[in-house]
Amino acid sequence: MRKNLGRLPIRRSLQKVFFFSLILTTILLTSLTIHVLANQSPPQNQLSASTSANTPSLTSVESIFKASLQPQRTFSATLPPPKQDPCLHCHITGENKNLWTPLARWAIFGTMGLIFAFGMYRTGSVILNRKTWKPLTNRTAEWIDERYEISEPLSKVLKKPVPKYALRWFYCLGGITAFLFVVQGVTGIMLAFYYKPTPEAAYASIQFIETQVRFGAAIRAIHHWAANGMIIMCTAHMLRVFIMGAYKNPREMNWVSGVLLLVLTLAFGFTGYLLPWDQRAFWATTVGSEIAGAVPIIGNLALVFLRVGWNVTGETLSRFYALHVIIIPLLTVTFMFAHFLMVRRQGVMRPL
Amino acid sequence: MSHEQLENEETIPFFPDQFMREFRVVIGIVVIAVVIGILGMINPVGLEDPADPFNTPAHVKPEWYFLGLYQLLKFVPKTTGVLIPIIGVVILAIWPFLDRKKETSLKPTKIRALVVAIGMIILIALTIWGGVS
Repeated sequence: MRKNLGRLPIRRSLQKVFFFSLILTTILLTSLTIHVLANQSPPQNQLSASTSANTPSLTSVESIFKASLQPQRTFSATLPPPKQDPCLHCHITGENKNLWTPLARWAIFGTMGLIFAFGMYRTGSVILNRKTWKPLTNRTAEWIDERYEISEPLSKVLKKPVPKYALRWFYCLGGITAFLFVVQGVTGIMLAFYYKPTPEAAYASIQFIETQVRFGAAIRAIHHWAANGMIIMCTAHMLRVFIMGAYKNPREMNWVSGVLLLVLTLAFGFTGYLLPWDQRAFWATTVGSEIAGAVPIIGNLALVFLRVGWNVTGETLSRFYALHVIIIPLLTVTFMFAHFLMVRRQGVMRPL
Repeated sequence: MSHEQLENEETIPFFPDQFMREFRVVIGIVVIAVVIGILGMINPVGLEDPADPFNTPAHVKPEWYFLGLYQLLKFVPKTTGVLIPIIGVVILAIWPFLDRKKETSLKPTKIRALVVAIGMIILIALTIWGGVS
């Protein structure tokens, strides 16, 4: 905090206001000059030159033929090449009437106006209050903290000491899995905007995503490959924990939740595989649910639960869609939350 | 890990040290995702023919992560083949309650690493076998 209140801030604010108005004036003057210069009518000398060439002083047929081939009117300035904006200043003066021109104008001049208004307000408040200006970030933080009293617990959470070995590379496998889940969530929501879970429309909607939707093929590719990556990373994380013996007291329940998360990840893969409703998806699900049907005692129940009936039909697609986008994500988020909370409490295991 | 134990060793604050580390990992994943997206626009994931319940294709195969189980089911009776992964997952889930000994040396770690290596070799072999067969 500066001791000298009043003087320096005022001078600084005034300086800023001065410079902003200088920049504004320069831009306005420049655009006006361009406008005036560019809207002048083309000089006439070239035109008169070409007409003088057409005077009947040349009497031969050949010369008349040549003259008729010449263009009637030539321009002094060369025409702009195609596809280039012929009138840049028209965007500023308002002659260009396309959609983006007013938007761009509003964005540029609106931002400049806001900065100018903010500068005026800041100057005025400093002059009137005789206090140094408090940055907006500090003000926002104070405003939130006054209402929710969040800064103390937040700083406690953020400043929690972590052992230095937590930076070893094999401790980030779980974090990668968690972030891949976030990627899956985001791309999955994007795909859900266009996907239709009915046997008539599912295949066509995937085709629509692949060919018509902007970046649809990219989003589907990311969803596809990140799913495979999530399974690999999940397994790698589990093997790391197993080899290091990190599942032992006091982290038993963390291991149990981790195993459940792996099962849920595989369930994600199994239910998501049916959704494109092509031959591969249909028959993989048929075979997969048949395997579930081979479980003793509850086999038929599991089969009917998965297929909604004895065969894979549109009902199966509907059920798998609900499982894939609602039930399994909710369960996964719940278990992930418990998993992270326990990691937070118990810390990472010390390598031997 | 309790705070008394932590005081004896070198620690770093969660923010910014570990947070920035995780953030860099996240940036790396995003970059890879963008690259996959660009490659995916050039070479899309694609679709097979529309589903037809009356036309069974010649080779019905599950996703690659179930290929090991798929190959296993060719050798053992169906009920046994289904029970093996279920019992495996259950044992895996309750493993911390079975193996409770406190560790003082590196020997159990090495044994576990060996078990994991053998298990993964068997699983990968079954997966590849299921993939090519």
